[in-house]
Amino acid sequence: MSKTATIPAPQGFRLKPDDKPVIFAAGFVLLILLVGTGYTMLTQGSAPLLQPQYLLQQLQVGSFLGIVAAGLMLVILLGHIDLSVPWTLTAAAMMATAVGGPWAIPVGLGIGLLVGIVNGLGVAYLRVPSMIFTLGMNAVMRGLMVAHTGGFAPQTAATDLMQYLAVARIGGVIPVALLVWLAVSALVVVILTRTTLGRAIYAIGNRERAAYLSGIDTNRVILIAFALSGAAAGLAGVLLAGYSTKAYQGMGDPYLLPAIAAVVIGGTNILGGRGRYLGTLVGVILIVLLNSVLSIMQMPEAGRQIIYGTVIIAMLLVYGRGERVTG
Amino acid sequence: MEPAPFFALENVSKRYGGVHALRDVDFACSRGSIHAVLGENGAGKSTLMKIMAGVVQPDEGRMTLEGTPVMFPGPAAANRAGIVCIFQELSLMPELTVADNITLSSPPRRFGLIDGRAQRRRSEELLARVGCEDIDPSARVADLPLSRRQMVEIAKALGRNPKLLILDEATSALTAADVDLVYRMLFDLKARGLSILYISHRMHEIEALADRCSVFRNGRHIETFTKGTRSRDEIIGLMIGREIEGQFPPKPERPRPAPFIEIRDLSWESRLNGVTLEAGRGEIVGLGGLDGQGQKELLLALFGVLRGVRGTVTVEGRTMAMSSPRAAKSGRAHMALVPEDRKSEGLILSMSIADNLAMASLDRLARGPFLSARRTRAVVQEAIEQMRIKIGDAGDPVATLSGGNQQKVVIAKWLATGPDVILLNDPTRGIDVGTKQELYRLMRELADAGACILFYSTDYEELIGCCDRVCVMYDGRIVRALEDEAINERNLIASALNIVGQREPAHG
Repeated sequence: MSKTATIPAPQGFRLKPDDKPVIFAAGFVLLILLVGTGYTMLTQGSAPLLQPQYLLQQLQVGSFLGIVAAGLMLVILLGHIDLSVPWTLTAAAMMATAVGGPWAIPVGLGIGLLVGIVNGLGVAYLRVPSMIFTLGMNAVMRGLMVAHTGGFAPQTAATDLMQYLAVARIGGVIPVALLVWLAVSALVVVILTRTTLGRAIYAIGNRERAAYLSGIDTNRVILIAFALSGAAAGLAGVLLAGYSTKAYQGMGDPYLLPAIAAVVIGGTNILGGRGRYLGTLVGVILIVLLNSVLSIMQMPEAGRQIIYGTVIIAMLLVYGRGERVTG
Repeated sequence: MEPAPFFALENVSKRYGGVHALRDVDFACSRGSIHAVLGENGAGKSTLMKIMAGVVQPDEGRMTLEGTPVMFPGPAAANRAGIVCIFQELSLMPELTVADNITLSSPPRRFGLIDGRAQRRRSEELLARVGCEDIDPSARVADLPLSRRQMVEIAKALGRNPKLLILDEATSALTAADVDLVYRMLFDLKARGLSILYISHRMHEIEALADRCSVFRNGRHIETFTKGTRSRDEIIGLMIGREIEGQFPPKPERPRPAPFIEIRDLSWESRLNGVTLEAGRGEIVGLGGLDGQGQKELLLALFGVLRGVRGTVTVEGRTMAMSSPRAAKSGRAHMALVPEDRKSEGLILSMSIADNLAMASLDRLARGPFLSARRTRAVVQEAIEQMRIKIGDAGDPVATLSGGNQQKVVIAKWLATGPDVILLNDPTRGIDVGTKQELYRLMRELADAGACILFYSTDYEELIGCCDRVCVMYDGRIVRALEDEAINERNLIASALNIVGQREPAHG
């Protein structure tokens, strides 16, 4: 019989299920801007939130998170997770500043790629659950960096090129970091929608066994996805070091959870297999704006955390309704 | 004489979106009888069952249980009323033990905690009732073969003390021996006054079991009749709404072709013990025998899924590596495997029909790393036309298709790779008669076009009707190869069973 597996949802509207979270998140972004503007109109009589200068500033700050989230999304689509992001990012930043000169950026990216490849080997070939393996790698990288710096803040500085990429604005308007983020985004979109790799990532995330029996080299795909995620974290580390002119302990810590939240708010299924990159993009913007507006509203830290967490849970509740996970 | 109905539906309708799954259906079943429900996939049988079991609510109509109007807001309410359903998809938790599964809904408790010993005892009782004393209640369900799991499912249903037992394709994965056990159990339950509804696509099962038959087509109840008043052809005619002739395509008369693929002494752990087999282009070679005698392992080994396989496979005289499905599909002989479980192994249900059709041939559809949208569209279109897959839009999830059409997608995705050797693992399980016939015809067409087909089936009729040769397996080896006239039910069963007492030293 036809309708045995899932009870079909009522049809009739032509909105694809994948579009819903994207539209919803975008609506929420507008809501945040409206509420924030309403607040500033009442208290200051102006609307700084709607000025292009402010929005570009937010996008610049959001670039670092956006790049991390772009890489992480590839891994989450597989049904895995990369918890090594914080110290992959930090290690890349520290090694890039330590090497300095023209090799700073290649070394930073290389460190990220290397950690990603090790993660990928562990998850794909050794079959260690990614949550454990990447958590372990995070600790290993942290230990290596503490050994490298002796536990002190490194004295080295970011190179001019790193600072240019992170801070400079083309024509004094468009942040270069935003362009880097857009370039990474374009790459991820192409991978996900136009390549066999992307198709294989979705297939594995939905049902790895069926993908394997279709003759897809599943281990290779997992390895590549983790490598890309590591490289993205490395790139974010290089930029972030440029932004703050130096690398420092714990610089990656505030990126892991917001990046996961951005991916998931954007509609990517945390169990893998479903999600569009546009959603992740909107998810990053949502998180950056939410943080910013809450701080403009002078919300105390405790309240910010509560609202931040509640919003994430609420959005997931909205998406989760009506969707069935079929065995 | 009609006994008074036990459970009756009047003017029941159910719509999913714009599709009528059931239209204005009147249906009744009585105590102490086995009532078969027949119909093609999509005819509305499963929806009917789901309404009766409280899984879905009807849009219109009313239901009466022993004359009293009833409403079931959920399966638990239906269970309380004594209506228990065994669904086509197994609903067991693979990581839990057999005993945990059997008593899942109401485990025996002591001081508020689950009483493991009582649970075990209860499970043993129920397993004994279905004749499966050999299943260990503390075994993990995931470790049992599919046919045993299905018996556990039946034991679980009996544990709920049903008055009306609904079996939806419940025997589709069972071996002949288990089917016998189920028959005996069903007759026993009938004698105790239970009402039993039985959905099956296997005509001989219905002939053996049913007292009455109801035929559904396109969501309508077409006709109900007492068994024996209609011929098999008439019943099939009612189901598909047109007359059909000859269930199987004719086999070609020709000498046996030269071997294309030669399998020598294939062994794997304790499941394959030196399988030797050869098959030529144009041949359909059946794999027979009881379930779990190594047929599935043989197909998986050839497809490179199993690790540590010993023995050699040569294609046109040259050795083939069996390292991975990827190597198998692009190696010396292009292989294709239609796996046992189309929902978890053959398809990715939540992805679109088009994505699924392209899944096995991504490499061929790519230019460098990029997937060619044009080539993909062409392949998808061709597959849909060649297989006559009934779809709305190729972008819809494959889960929206009926079972038969889903299986066509699995086969089509492999045909797109241009396979030389096609391995079929019980491809007609749970598929309606019309689609089955299309598959039989397709198999013959593919063979005639030069493919070499290895076909495992649990249905003897299929092996007899489709295969040029049948190799019967027992305990991981081939004990007998049947050809031509020798392929009949008697020989198949005899060679599958005979061996138990007296093992042939065929490959000693």
